[in-house]
Amino acid sequence: MSAHSKQVMQVVQRSMERWGVVIAFVALFAFSTFQQGSDFFNAENFRALLNSNAAVGILAVGMTLVIISAGIDLSVGSMVALAAAIGTTVMNSLIGSGSSEVTAVLVGGAVTVLVGLAAGSLNGILVVYGRIAPFIATLGGLAAFRSIALAIADAGEIRSQSATLFSALGRGGLPLPGLENSAGRPLTLSYSTVIFFVLAAIGQWVLSRSRFGRHLVAVGANETAARYAGISVSWVRLRVYALMGLLAGVVAFIQSSRMNSVSTAQLGLGSELDAIAAVVIGGTSLRGGFGRVWGTVVGVLILGMITNMLTISGVSPHWQGAVKGAVIVIAVLVQRSSRE
Amino acid sequence: MHLGATLRFVSARSSRTGIFRSAALSAERVTVEFPGVRALDCVSLDFHGGRIHAIVGENGAGKSTLMRVLSGAMRPTAGAISLDGRVMRFVQPADAIRAGISMVHQELNLVRTLDIAENVMLGREPTRTIGLRVDRAKQRTRARELLGVLGSELNPDTPASDLSIAQAQFVEIAKCLASDARVLIFDEPTAVLGERESKRLFSVLRRLRDDGRAIIFISHHLDEVVAIADEITVLRDGKVVDSFARATDGTIRSIDGVIADEGMVANAMVGRPLASIYPEKGVAIGDQVVIELVDFGAQGCSHGINLQVLPGEIVGLAGLIGSGRTESAEAIVGLRPRTGSVRIGGRDERLSSVREAMAAGVVYVSEDRKGRGLHVTLSSMINLTLPSLDSCTEFGGLRVDTGSEVAIGDRWIKAFSIRCARPHAPISFLSGGNQQKISLARWLETKPRVLIIDEPTRGVDVGARAEIYRIIAELAREGLACIVISSELSEVIGLAHRALVMRGGVIAGELSRERLARADAQECIVRIASGVLEEGLVQR
Repeated sequence: MSAHSKQVMQVVQRSMERWGVVIAFVALFAFSTFQQGSDFFNAENFRALLNSNAAVGILAVGMTLVIISAGIDLSVGSMVALAAAIGTTVMNSLIGSGSSEVTAVLVGGAVTVLVGLAAGSLNGILVVYGRIAPFIATLGGLAAFRSIALAIADAGEIRSQSATLFSALGRGGLPLPGLENSAGRPLTLSYSTVIFFVLAAIGQWVLSRSRFGRHLVAVGANETAARYAGISVSWVRLRVYALMGLLAGVVAFIQSSRMNSVSTAQLGLGSELDAIAAVVIGGTSLRGGFGRVWGTVVGVLILGMITNMLTISGVSPHWQGAVKGAVIVIAVLVQRSSRE
Repeated sequence: MHLGATLRFVSARSSRTGIFRSAALSAERVTVEFPGVRALDCVSLDFHGGRIHAIVGENGAGKSTLMRVLSGAMRPTAGAISLDGRVMRFVQPADAIRAGISMVHQELNLVRTLDIAENVMLGREPTRTIGLRVDRAKQRTRARELLGVLGSELNPDTPASDLSIAQAQFVEIAKCLASDARVLIFDEPTAVLGERESKRLFSVLRRLRDDGRAIIFISHHLDEVVAIADEITVLRDGKVVDSFARATDGTIRSIDGVIADEGMVANAMVGRPLASIYPEKGVAIGDQVVIELVDFGAQGCSHGINLQVLPGEIVGLAGLIGSGRTESAEAIVGLRPRTGSVRIGGRDERLSSVREAMAAGVVYVSEDRKGRGLHVTLSSMINLTLPSLDSCTEFGGLRVDTGSEVAIGDRWIKAFSIRCARPHAPISFLSGGNQQKISLARWLETKPRVLIIDEPTRGVDVGARAEIYRIIAELAREGLACIVISSELSEVIGLAHRALVMRGGVIAGELSRERLARADAQECIVRIASGVLEEGLVQR
């Protein structure tokens, strides 16, 4: 191969590495539009698509940071269930004991988020001070958090006792001027979607513009070298797991308010895998040391679009896993070949 | 599998009875290019069976690259490798091994959880019951036979994890013999050995040579090379610059037939008189001790170290690998637990982490650039500002001020003339010299008072070496207290105001500036380091 064409190849590879996920998104978007026309390409569908993927998206933002630090968190789905179960129980008992609805929802929400933070910190402590591999430590969490949630509700559902406020938060959103749904009501961008985008933006900032982000990358790329450069590896890792837990708490609040109840057996089930998949599709290296939050956001949208497309075209939901699996494997293959 | 294993046995046996097919391995116009560097430039060399061929050259001369090409670990950009006149296209080391070319790596590659016999026969286990079961008895006998060829009486049942480095090396060689190697490549085999062990290794090399094998051997120790090699090739900047061969009378002679010694080989390696690459030594400024070690030690590695360094002084720390130099340095900056105390500017300091050490003005530049000193997958910019990142963050670390970060990076890139095409590209493709400048610059940015630099020119080419020496001398002249750890004696002698020699975790001797200036300083350091000279301290 001549030197020139080699250079061209390198440029192509480098841009594939950087923009591959965007190209995939555009291609999939074009394909869906072409295939399904206005069934896919309408504001109401986009709203639903975003709304139903915001929760996984928020988890994926945190997961991106965890994976960049060369870690992983398998417990996030169970963490969501646990935080939602405890938070909603607290809220209900406050309402039962005569507190105002506002107080109950606020306190319940705070408890939800704090339980997430605590569970995440526990993961961090196990990884940092217990010196347990993140995969194993959080595998423990995956089993344990879910089990505690099930025990609290006796494997059943916890219905919210909040008359209106809780679900109003969960179902509400910011009105989008000039857009209406098929029933002629003004279309809203759900709060969960707004929170997802805001957190993603913060996540990207933290990663690329803050000292913590720089340290995350350094620890993920080479832990020993990070230690030799004077970075407190333990503190960095502890914080990233705690942050992940905090985000799981936020997701727990979003999900339980949206459903106005918590199904301890179902809530967040398998969402750790969706989150990890989105991170990988987004171009973050599973080996750590390299990644980007915006790529993860695109990854979430790609996964969401696939589900959306299959649903619209009436493909049995049982097939969705197979298609998603294929996409994940292809994404990793493309990235690996371009990086070597 | 089973049949193949048997056939191998037969051919390997024949080797020991002396009817060994001798090999001729040739490199023909081999060129290897890395981005920005030509590591090998049109190298043509022949290696013959029954000869020990030493390759010498400075760090970065291309020795390791050549060995990697010969052993199939790397494909040349241009040129070819041929064995017995047939051009070989090795894609991976396994291809070379199959062709009879084995490499004994510097870092030994034994599987620690297996025993010697299993390691020796790894990948070619003798089997029985149509290849389904490993024949343990045969495996053991065979391993013992191969070790016997080397004159070693190690028990094949010993777990690999129990072996000393020298023993592991023997097992590694036996492993090569098991694969029927006709060409054996040794990458600095004596670097990790003591003197007696080295002698033993040499007798093994001679024995293997006398069997008709071609031995290729890299070493930094020219005395060894002159003693053992039948042929010596000198590489410099990726080119073959000179060669020597042993004449029938046993002397080493240059191409024009002049009897050669170590000095001649050394001059050929460097290509210019050695002294010129070292800057003039400045004088220590003032008498206020900057850093003082009192009865200091790295737990389990060194002890009883007392040392004072003045501003502007460069103290060399010599000694063999494993003598506790690096460990002690790491203990000073809080990377290891320590005993004794460290005083900075007269005050006892805890320095329990790199951060605290940095705050007190003590920094350590690691010898292991790729594993510890730098993040090779990250950019020049990130590497340059990582330790001093706090100085360009705002709002409690929430925002890194990229403007001032880029300014810091650019300043160092300019000051040290670091050649990096794109400051935001990973540094893995930079040359050793440029990487070393980055790992030095990142610590200087923290404005230290004490610089501990470990093997400052390991893997650095000659040109960048001179620059690094100049930088260190310059820093000292500006009042920095420097401790230079080096295994290269000429470096210690050429750079330091005085030198300490460590052996077995203690300071075994000290050479003053005057003593370092004497012609036999190098020899003196070697003697102290190897324990020949016990009363090193008297030698001031």
